Amino acid sequence: MTGDRAGNAISARQIYMAYGKTEVLRGIDVSMPQGQTLALLGPSGCGKTTLLRLVAGLLSPTSGEIAIDGQMVACPSLFVPPEKRGLGMVFQDYALWPHLSVAGNVAFPLEMAGINGAERQARVKAALDRVGLSAMADRSPSALSGGQQQRVAIARAIVAEPRIVLFDEPLSNLDRELRETMVAELGALIRGLGLTAIYVTHDQSEALTLADQVAVMEAGQIAQLAAPEDLVEHPASPKVAEFLRLGAVLSLTRDTGGWSYGGHALGPMGGPEASAAEVLVTPRALRIADFGTTALSGEVMAVQYRDTAYAVTVRLNQAAPAQTVQISSDTRMRLGERIGLEIVSDRLRWFPARTQAPVH
Amino acid sequence: MARAREAVSPSVVIAAAGLVVVVAVPFLFILLQAVFPHLGRGSLAAPFSALAGALGDPKLIGMTGNTLLLGLLVVVLSALIAVPLAVARALFRVPGAVIWDVLFLIPFMIPPYIAVLGWIMTLQPRGYLEQLAGFDLAAFLFSVPGIVFVMTLNTFPVVYFAVSRTVETVGSRYADVARVFGASPLRAFWRVTLPLSTPGLAASLLLVFAMSIEEYGTPAALGRRAGFDVLVTAIDLRVSDWPIDLPGAAILSLVLVILSFGAFLLQRWILTRRSYEATTGKPQDAAKRDLGVWKFPVLALFAAVAVAATGLPLLAILATALSRTISGGLTLANLDLSNFSAILGDTTGALKALGTSLSLGVAAALVTGLLGALSAYAVVKSKVRGRGVLDVLTILPNALPGIVVAVGLILAWNQPWLPVTPYNTALILLLAYCCILLPQPVRYATAAFHQIGDNLEAAARVFGASPLVAFRRILLPLIAPSLLAAMLLVFAVATRELVASVVVAPVGVSTISTYIWRQFEQGSVGLGMAMAFITILITTALPLIVLSLMGRRGNLL
Repeated sequence: MTGDRAGNAISARQIYMAYGKTEVLRGIDVSMPQGQTLALLGPSGCGKTTLLRLVAGLLSPTSGEIAIDGQMVACPSLFVPPEKRGLGMVFQDYALWPHLSVAGNVAFPLEMAGINGAERQARVKAALDRVGLSAMADRSPSALSGGQQQRVAIARAIVAEPRIVLFDEPLSNLDRELRETMVAELGALIRGLGLTAIYVTHDQSEALTLADQVAVMEAGQIAQLAAPEDLVEHPASPKVAEFLRLGAVLSLTRDTGGWSYGGHALGPMGGPEASAAEVLVTPRALRIADFGTTALSGEVMAVQYRDTAYAVTVRLNQAAPAQTVQISSDTRMRLGERIGLEIVSDRLRWFPARTQAPVH
Repeated sequence: MARAREAVSPSVVIAAAGLVVVVAVPFLFILLQAVFPHLGRGSLAAPFSALAGALGDPKLIGMTGNTLLLGLLVVVLSALIAVPLAVARALFRVPGAVIWDVLFLIPFMIPPYIAVLGWIMTLQPRGYLEQLAGFDLAAFLFSVPGIVFVMTLNTFPVVYFAVSRTVETVGSRYADVARVFGASPLRAFWRVTLPLSTPGLAASLLLVFAMSIEEYGTPAALGRRAGFDVLVTAIDLRVSDWPIDLPGAAILSLVLVILSFGAFLLQRWILTRRSYEATTGKPQDAAKRDLGVWKFPVLALFAAVAVAATGLPLLAILATALSRTISGGLTLANLDLSNFSAILGDTTGALKALGTSLSLGVAAALVTGLLGALSAYAVVKSKVRGRGVLDVLTILPNALPGIVVAVGLILAWNQPWLPVTPYNTALILLLAYCCILLPQPVRYATAAFHQIGDNLEAAARVFGASPLVAFRRILLPLIAPSLLAAMLLVFAVATRELVASVVVAPVGVSTISTYIWRQFEQGSVGLGMAMAFITILITTALPLIVLSLMGRRGNLL
């Protein structure tokens, strides 16, 4: 992501953020064009919320530059406070003001922008209509359910028609069913309004559903920035693959006869010209076979019905520390059933061995 | 590399400026005066010369010893009276429990110097006790045990309420668990309830200690005749009687501050280290047991304490206020409303004093409310550098007794080189009240801010509010209920504050407390007590009216 700021809704260059000696962000470079949605995905503590708050102006970076719509908002000589950045934001805890009514909450951004009277009322109503809550306008936010509060927070974020809306894990406090409906609604809303959005989440399915670009963050750095389909097809590292829960990552060693896992020969299977490597085994890269007919075998640990098939967790017999893989099965399998696993070698994804390859 | 950051919020700047004027300046001048004895002449000559002499002075050591002794005795007696009552109230079904609570709250509303005047009227020779029973207890009253007795009756409710609440909460939450696992009620009390209640008890006792060593009215009214000098009365003597000894007063003040600060830090340490009250919910009173045969002895104890702490002083005040002459005694013929009509007729400057105190009370409530809210914001919510210093400045007044604040204000604002000064105007009283009472709004506002999620303010900023607008529109309304309660407390206490008023009130300005005090010294006790009665009514009724109006408007939150 180099210099050219023009045409980008948001660009961040070489962002470092430290609290005392703890570095939270270590050299973030990211930029996104108008009208796109960028998801910041990562485990808790990876710095994704910090990055969002830096864009919002709620924090100021230790070093680096941030520009919004080509205008510098944070750099060594300048800091634009949050109220001058013209953003919308949805907070994880909703952050609805308990002393204002639902309408009062939604009207606040307009009030701050100096929009009064009939226009304010009309726009508040339109925003509440959009989230289906206009009947609740005079209620106190505390009288609403979690999902309704979240909709109020969304109405408040879009009412002033900002170009950019920031979402800080907006759905993490909702239960799963509601979360799935809200993801779809949010996606429709973002596209319908042509918003540029940054969406922070630790849920990979939300990120993959909503975003045009996903930045997978790890320990204060961006591990991979790619479109969802690229991310799934070509994860940049075993860590990214593990975080996206694409499958199991196994450490293999190679000798003259080909690859072996935990001392059990698996055959040639392609792969890099190295004495050790890691391989991502997705459910699609495994086929169930009769026990004893394959090099890899295991025992069924858990069976879960998901969508149209059974997701089966299998513990590998060949692994010294316990290692499980996931496969998909059309039939329900018994717990404890012993099965053989056939590897589909052209569906494997290879990575160089991590610095110290485990030797078996 | 200097980085551009967000400018420091104006609310933090106002808080810092206010804290410097109200807290830092008087405290700093005490320190300076103690070190530089010739400060008053604008000279920094001979530093530490007075300090060494004063600290070795056997009189100072004696007064410090007296102060500690008084504090300690009041603590012990308060614990002896309050702990049994509190445990009985918390664990057993005491008939009329709520009434006893109200009766034990009243001593809070009677300023100690008024209560002590009531006790003098009762126990002195030819006092009400002698008129009714034929003997007087003057020898007891004007002695160290007498001082301890009167002060304890004013302070024991602190321990009573703290301990009964802790024991009730702990009893219902943890002791019941011990019962389930096989402990008898008595064992559960000794092994669970008592250990868990100790921090609450210790903290309240330390508060009593701090209150006792700062108290002026009781030792001043009773101790002089007993030849019992404490630090507070000795400081008063040095600043108000010829020869004025400001370096001496500053050094005694420092000693008092050290004692008071020690007690305060210890209390804070205990509470932060092991606080069980804060984490637990509402006490449930379902599990309370019957008193059985102990019912009447316990009730008698409650009644005796209520009579001594609330009934007797109130009745003595009322009787004196209603007596045409004191020498006329307790006879029907001697009862009339002449003292009240003299007050309302303003023949003695009473209405003016009342007006002065009420306006100062309102002003102090407004100033401390604003300053307390801003300071608590700066300490709790802002990330501004140096907020540790602000934190110290908000905590410091907890350890500054009224007399010390008064001395500090004299030292700071009576410097000859100052072009303008609030000294000799009513403004100096306002400064004194604000410094003494600032801890109340700070404490309430701090607790309220801790309950407000950081994102509420962040959201306001993102949606276009400047720091000041976010404070005014979002944070202030959210802490308003707590802050208002604290401001009512400030109003009630500032209106009748005695010690700083006696020391710094300008010539010709009298407050409620100096008016009462002067009437007593001049022998017009009836007028003083009528004023005291009116004051208790006003300072109790006004906050109650405001609170009930607030309640009727529905919950502010």
